[in-house]
Amino acid sequence: MLDIILRNLSQRKVRTGLTVFGIALGIFAVIVMGSMSENFNQTFETSFSLTADKIRVFGSSGVFGGSVTTGKAAEVRKVPGVKDAYGLLMAPLEEGGAMSFGGNQIVGLPPEKSQTVLGPVKVKQGRFLMRGDRYETMIGTSIATQYNIGVGDRIEIRDKYFTVVGLLEYTGSFFDATAAVPLDSAQDVYDMGDMVSMIFVIPDDGVDGDLLARRIKLSVEGVDTLSPSELEKEARQSLMIFSVITVSAAVLAAIIGGLSVMNTMLMSVMERTKEFGILKAMGAERRDILIMTVGEAAIMGLLGGLLGLACGWVVVYGMNLWLAEKGIVLFLITYRLVAIAMLFAILLGTLSGIYPALRASRMSPMEALRYE
Amino acid sequence: MNNAKADIILKTRGLKETYMQGKVPVHALQGVDMEVKRGELISIVGPSGSGKSTLLSIIGMLEIPTEGEVFIDGVEVTGVKVKDIPRLRREKIGFVFQHFNLLPALTALGNVEIAMRFARVPKKERIRRATEVLTEMGLGERLNHKPSELSGGEQQRVSIARALANKPSIILADEPTGEVDTRTRDLIVGILRRLSDGGQTVIIVTHDVWVAERTDRIIRLVDGKVEDS
Ligand SMILES: Nc1ncnc2c1ncn2[C@@H]1O[C@H](COP(=O)(O)OP(=O)(O)OP(=O)(O)O)[C@@H](O)[C@H]1O
Ligand SMILES: [Mg+2]
Repeated sequence: MLDIILRNLSQRKVRTGLTVFGIALGIFAVIVMGSMSENFNQTFETSFSLTADKIRVFGSSGVFGGSVTTGKAAEVRKVPGVKDAYGLLMAPLEEGGAMSFGGNQIVGLPPEKSQTVLGPVKVKQGRFLMRGDRYETMIGTSIATQYNIGVGDRIEIRDKYFTVVGLLEYTGSFFDATAAVPLDSAQDVYDMGDMVSMIFVIPDDGVDGDLLARRIKLSVEGVDTLSPSELEKEARQSLMIFSVITVSAAVLAAIIGGLSVMNTMLMSVMERTKEFGILKAMGAERRDILIMTVGEAAIMGLLGGLLGLACGWVVVYGMNLWLAEKGIVLFLITYRLVAIAMLFAILLGTLSGIYPALRASRMSPMEALRYE
Repeated sequence: MNNAKADIILKTRGLKETYMQGKVPVHALQGVDMEVKRGELISIVGPSGSGKSTLLSIIGMLEIPTEGEVFIDGVEVTGVKVKDIPRLRREKIGFVFQHFNLLPALTALGNVEIAMRFARVPKKERIRRATEVLTEMGLGERLNHKPSELSGGEQQRVSIARALANKPSIILADEPTGEVDTRTRDLIVGILRRLSDGGQTVIIVTHDVWVAERTDRIIRLVDGKVEDS
């Protein structure tokens, strides 16, 4: 039956081509948008796994309230089960920059603690910060590429120059876009006084993070905590929203491709009314007609999927190369994404073919034969 | 007449077909009773609109009669389930049309071979059988020609070969000589005669007296009824 299907498709080359192109556009969108979403997903997974066991403590007025001071860290440290606790100040690196996916940020931390905070990440070159450092900084790979700097160079942060003493390994997480500086300097440069963004809590070995988070919240006044599981939940939620937005835009594009398949198939089924009549007179079963017509639609879906995938891959690859110079990674094509996109393309073709196929298979043979 | 011709292969009883043309009923058939013996070559004649094509399409199970029964090989085909009809059609009926109705994209071989696909005949066997019947029709040299590359007479022979592919018991031909010249007409009637001599039943609808006179028996339809001759 496949030979007949392919013959029918190749007989209407222009029409088949246009329809395949329609699907390809949709799948192209799915690949490009999807790979963006996949990249954020992966960044999050890595970032999360690198800091999974830590508890974050905020001022109770909110996550970004910043209304927690270095002094609170001492109180938190006294809670049983806490191994260590200290303030961190996070802020956008560039003036007017946003603290969001992909933006560069600074982290102000007690210099002697840099190994613990950044610990899961290896040092590629140079050293961690240490006690006594003031205008020294450690930077991630994205910042290094973007500013074209390395160990020994200087970087300007809000009118002050910081000397790069260490370069972090590439992780595929937010650490890549992070410059770590001593907390005191950060508070000075950003005019934050004694404020910190949050208190970073390291639990004693074997202590349950969620329980400890609850205990801290109860024993220290005016703070909120984000346990590892809460953090994960929160982050997953915003990630999910992002995924839904990007993916639904892409799916919409693909559905339009599907409608064009349906349109094409309806047209060619009508045109071939007489042919179906002849086939039925020769004893074709309804099933034969169905397979023939749905098969055509499914193959257009498959071809569109392959074409869209190829174009999407080329564009994503090109964009990644181009963005790499700027130290940004924005797209990630995963096996999962490829599988979903292809499955979607074939399913779309098949589903759009079902209605035209049913019409073809239901025609009365006599009427079909009389059709001119 | 030999014994094989004695048994009844086709019988209709009280066949009626009424079409609705908008709100006006058209009585295309008004009670047709007929019997055809195995191996007979018969013709159905009658004025235009008398119901000849309608009768043929009901016998060929392309249409369901409003009333009445059709028996083929003792099976009441008007009473079987809809899903069994394609199989019965393949086994019992071969169609030959006035306008040939070949698929233009397929070669002669392809047109004959496709008929056997629906019967799930394996590919090798399909090619062998299609080559065989086409050669019998004198088209051994034309296997790979498309319909557009064949003369009217050749196209009609391809369509006869297609009708024969599944070895049906009855060949139904609706004006098979309506679009060919007299020389080809003689050739086609000769072929149909040979099939009948070989034991196959052939029913021809025709306007051509010359053709009708060369069949075993003539059934005359007038206003949807068989006229006694
Ligand atoms: N699908 C249909 N809907 C309505 N009326 C129909 C339909 N098919 C046939 N008829 C009518 O039924 C009658 C018989 O038609 P049929 O085609 O059987 O005649 P015929 O004897 O084959 O004529 P001809 O010699 O011109 O081919 C005609 O009056 C025709 O108009
Ligand atoms: Mg007719």
